[in-house]
Amino acid sequence: MRRIARRLVRLYPEAWRERYEEEFIAALEESPATIAVLLDVVLGALDAQVRPQVSDRRFRMVVRLRGSVLAVLWSLVGMVVAGVGFQKMSEYGDFVRAARESAWVGVSFDAVVVGAILALAALLAGGLPVALGAIRGAFVERRRDVPLLFCAPLVCIGLFVGYAFLVTKVVYPAVHPTGVQSPVNVAIFLSIVGAFALAVVVSAGAVSTAVSRVELGEAPFRFALYPAALATLAMGVVLVGTLVWGLALRALTPGLFTGDGGLLSTSTTVNWLAILAVMAISTLVAARAVVRGFSARAGS
Amino acid sequence: MVGEGVLDLGRFSDPALFVLMSLAGGEKHGYAMMEDIEEVCGTKLGPGTLYGALARLERRALIEPVSSEDRRKPYRLTAAGEVALEKRLGELRNFASVGFARLATT
Repeated sequence: MRRIARRLVRLYPEAWRERYEEEFIAALEESPATIAVLLDVVLGALDAQVRPQVSDRRFRMVVRLRGSVLAVLWSLVGMVVAGVGFQKMSEYGDFVRAARESAWVGVSFDAVVVGAILALAALLAGGLPVALGAIRGAFVERRRDVPLLFCAPLVCIGLFVGYAFLVTKVVYPAVHPTGVQSPVNVAIFLSIVGAFALAVVVSAGAVSTAVSRVELGEAPFRFALYPAALATLAMGVVLVGTLVWGLALRALTPGLFTGDGGLLSTSTTVNWLAILAVMAISTLVAARAVVRGFSARAGS
Repeated sequence: MVGEGVLDLGRFSDPALFVLMSLAGGEKHGYAMMEDIEEVCGTKLGPGTLYGALARLERRALIEPVSSEDRRKPYRLTAAGEVALEKRLGELRNFASVGFARLATT
């Protein structure tokens, strides 16, 4: 009966549940499990639907702020994946030499690195208060799922490092692929890229879910908007740095730019354009989310 | 909103009045209020009815939650809540006096 009553709580409006669900369930658990109580919960839900008892405005504002901050987090995921691709591509000897020979190539590459570090530092600055608030709220609400979800990024990183180690130190020497574009080499490379993308997406998904499951109020999200704006600015620096890097490389050594210096010896130009496209989309999504967040903040 | 009294709650007046009465005896969480109301008023409030009243009273700033580490969040009366309860009890006292006086004359 109590399980049914707990399910019936879902009949209440979302704003109501956000505010009262935990304590309501606590009271429900102490009440006798009878049909009368069940009926009372249904009538209470109907009443709350017909005559809203909780202000939707504040709830909507929190949802918008949270959505903006999480959108910036997801944009950073796109940026990280594209950034790792750029780093992998530009680590080849010819690109390193080009960075030494041309100030534009060198400085733009440094700008990409500085922007990436700044974006990740901003993510930590804004994310830590939100994460700590969510973990504190989870202990108050006695939710075990939230701390577990926050452990997911550590587990994902551990699994990815273990997988990459296994593949590069055990599988690769054992199969010893011949040629960069050999099917085995391509499969190994794609499996590592896929594992990395999966680890990043699962981590971000777990953190997003954890943050959405606890009633956090608006304060941590209001604060997180500033680091989110800084992270977006840093993403812009990474984007411009990558753009200038490619253009300077094209001007300095056209042969290298139009050659096959990309990932798995594919076209440098196509790799650069693809990385640039992902970075541009990520930065635009983040910028839009920050603008929406500040507009929700101003409207409160 | 703060100025609105218990009387503005229409058909929800009774549970709201019971809650205010219960909290006049000190801060309590949901289930403790249900037990107190049953003991003092003889009325058994279900959790749905109780939280409907709590939400309305909180929205009108007649009660407020007390910060707590427990899932069972306690509530207390606000100054406006005390005024509203006093006013309503005064009206009921007048109502009861008139009722008893009329009964005495019949």
